[in-house]
Amino acid sequence: MICFNNVSFRYARGEESLKNINLTINKGDVVLVCGSSGCGKSTLVRCVNGLIPHFYEGELTGSITVGEMNVSQTTLRKISGYVGTVFQNPRSQFFNVDTTSELAFGCENFGLDPHEIEQRINRTVNRLDLTALMDRSIFKLSGGEKQKIACASIAVEPVDVIILDEPSANLDFKGICELQKMIEAWKEDGKTILIAEHRISYLFPFINRALLMKNGEIKKEYSVEEIKALTEKELHELGLRAESMENPSETRIKGIMDMSDTDKMVLFNMKYAYRGESAVFDIPKMEIPVGEIIGIVGTNGIGKSTFLRCLCGMERRCKAKLKVRDEEWNNRKRRQKIYMVMQDVNHQLFTDSVLEEVLISQDSEDREEALDILKLLDLTEYADRHPLALSGGQKQRVAVASAIASGREIILFDEPTSGLDYYHMLQVSELLKALKEKGKTVIIVTHDVELIKNACTCVIHFGNK
Amino acid sequence: MEYKLDRNTHSLLDPRTKLLLLFTSSVFVVGSAGEQRMRVFYWILVFIPVFLLFMEKEWKAGGAAVTIYVGSYFAQIALQHELTALESVLALMLYIITKIIPTVILARYIVRTTKVSEFLTAMHKMKVPDKITIPVSVIFRFFPTVIEESRAIGDAMRMKGIEMGAKKATEAVEYRMVPLIASCSIIGEELSAAAMSRGLDVGKKRTCIWNIKMGFFDWVIIVLCLVCFIWWGIGGLFI
Repeated sequence: MICFNNVSFRYARGEESLKNINLTINKGDVVLVCGSSGCGKSTLVRCVNGLIPHFYEGELTGSITVGEMNVSQTTLRKISGYVGTVFQNPRSQFFNVDTTSELAFGCENFGLDPHEIEQRINRTVNRLDLTALMDRSIFKLSGGEKQKIACASIAVEPVDVIILDEPSANLDFKGICELQKMIEAWKEDGKTILIAEHRISYLFPFINRALLMKNGEIKKEYSVEEIKALTEKELHELGLRAESMENPSETRIKGIMDMSDTDKMVLFNMKYAYRGESAVFDIPKMEIPVGEIIGIVGTNGIGKSTFLRCLCGMERRCKAKLKVRDEEWNNRKRRQKIYMVMQDVNHQLFTDSVLEEVLISQDSEDREEALDILKLLDLTEYADRHPLALSGGQKQRVAVASAIASGREIILFDEPTSGLDYYHMLQVSELLKALKEKGKTVIIVTHDVELIKNACTCVIHFGNK
Repeated sequence: MEYKLDRNTHSLLDPRTKLLLLFTSSVFVVGSAGEQRMRVFYWILVFIPVFLLFMEKEWKAGGAAVTIYVGSYFAQIALQHELTALESVLALMLYIITKIIPTVILARYIVRTTKVSEFLTAMHKMKVPDKITIPVSVIFRFFPTVIEESRAIGDAMRMKGIEMGAKKATEAVEYRMVPLIASCSIIGEELSAAAMSRGLDVGKKRTCIWNIKMGFFDWVIIVLCLVCFIWWGIGGLFI
């Protein structure tokens, strides 16, 4: 079905990212391709859907066949009738603005008869129970809902091979459960499925084989039994996430602290509602321990991110007050005293060098101190580089450097580890601990169970009454 | 409840009619072709976008538009005496606003109510080549994206204390543009990869699930636009 014959690939600018891949996948197989970031798993699946060599240019040797087609000699359009892909980023994989058109998009491009497309859509929507998501604007959907639409729009297409490129990166526990249902349905239909992931345990019920990649090579092949048998430590050594399917709302952290002695800040009247809707949350009073790493958990859509935005004073319509050491902070004051590291760090890097980025975050520019902060975060050698040219992990370190430079005592993080492999998650967790060492209060919104266990000293659960 | 796709859902106007209306409105409202002679048509063209807003149940936006028009109309009348410097600046601003707002509302209406797939098909029916249509169709998708991104960046700037009247006020524009362009170009690339992997290609036949047909209102608008141009043309003959 899918056959790699001695395939190597080098991106047009960059190092070799696939080396001598030999691989055969049979019809109806469900194969997991795992490995830490940069191991080449995304590159491998791009060879199957034809984006390599037709979209991402580079030097390709060896031959790849999918079905009867030689990938490098077949047009993308032809391959796309046979292979469907769900991408990692739900923000950038939709061509349409409304969900219904998005489901029809692939079939329309293949020139299928509209009546048949209509039937396919009806069947898919009813089978996957998506009625509530139809005829909506893509821009009004949550991350999990977007990913559901992305999967559904592939399910509508008459493809035989389905590729998932880190599909769980932006999903919470509930989202992953929905994704599992989707994969199960495809498996029942006998589709061949190829999944690139570093969170693996949720896939165990479906896969036949797992390939471990490292530095562009297939390092090892596991059967389901073998990969299931790996211990947490072994998985971590491979750079993989080890969390079992666990609901973050039920996560318990080790060691129960006695909170009665710690200093606390008190949040009053935390209430927010979108225009014309009922309140997202309404918290009359809430105590937050000072100098701890506090994890906020709860299902998607419960208002955790909005909570952070209100807490740092960015939502004008929220009238909350935060009482710290007998001082009451209103929105304006909180904007000056609290720093938030956003989920997409690209949005908060403005200047043309890393050093400059740290300097503008300081109240008054102090070169000495800025250099010290860069040293603390291992960024000294990048001081003159353009922040947007760094890797994802480095960008995040720059964002944290700015947070430290701002000198603010409370630092908020919105999903700092979504899509990160084990090494990078550990790195973030170390950063959080370094902030705590410096006496900062750190508040994180996350659904990453491993991060919570590693870093948080205190967990706040968000839920409905 | 069983889901059933209704292929006949569409907005009041056909994409082709919308474009014709936009063109007509640009000529006669923004460009004020024909001046006094086109006065009646001018006011009709100004109020059509408001009517469309009301049809989409956007009561607030529609109400605001009417208030602005009426207010500025009377203000212009009030400002027809000898003007002081300040008053003439004000009059000029009002003039520009009334010229531009109707067409902006119309453009916004078109972007909001036209499905990408409808647009592609309508353009195909008009024999516009794909090489033009496909890039243009991305606009429908890109406007909301740019707004979303720019809002997030604005928030990040406010948090760093870079805002109007605070530190680094002069650099603020640059700081806003750099990440915006960077992130839009990343999204653009990922978007085209996704679209191509789903079979979008230039010069290939594609179908459309939406039934697009000209309806009653389409013909009303088309006749109106034609009359505008004919009346304008006739006027030209006599001068």
